[in-house]
Amino acid sequence: MAANNPLGIDKEQAFGMAETEMEYRVELFNRLAQTCFNKCVDKRYKESELNMGENSCIDRCVSKYWQVNSMIGQLLSAGGRPPM
Amino acid sequence: MDKNMLAGLEGLPEQDKARMTSMIDHLQLRDSLRMYNSLVERCFNDCVDNFTRKNLQKQEETCVMRCAEKFLKHSMRVGMRFAELNSQAPTQE
Repeated sequence: MAANNPLGIDKEQAFGMAETEMEYRVELFNRLAQTCFNKCVDKRYKESELNMGENSCIDRCVSKYWQVNSMIGQLLSAGGRPPM
Repeated sequence: MDKNMLAGLEGLPEQDKARMTSMIDHLQLRDSLRMYNSLVERCFNDCVDNFTRKNLQKQEETCVMRCAEKFLKHSMRVGMRFAELNSQAPTQE
């Protein structure tokens, strides 16, 4: 039995973890989209298209946000958990 | 976002695949509704400041339409970049 399930996780736990992971991804995407829109797009809405400057800004913003996300992820998994 | 999630389901038994698909559908529905609400709030906040009339003025309507279209285009672009970054090796510096 141990050979089939080396981590000892049962199916319910696996589904739970998958769901949590998916929710995290959705949340990450939403926050990323909100943040980069706020930083990059002119709120005067002079037109409905994104101009070249906004496009570049968005690409860079996403890239940087992603890097920050990785950094924090590494920091937290290296034992930097906040005290309970 | 969808393609990545669905691709990982191959090789699972049918019952598990169905459960995962249902979970994904639920998450997507919830996310769509949330996006709807937040888009309304955003465009209202950015475009409507005048309360001397109870109906939207032409300029407010135009602003709201542009705001919504712009955000949706932005969201699509972010989605593309997000998918690209997601598909790279997890240990990217």
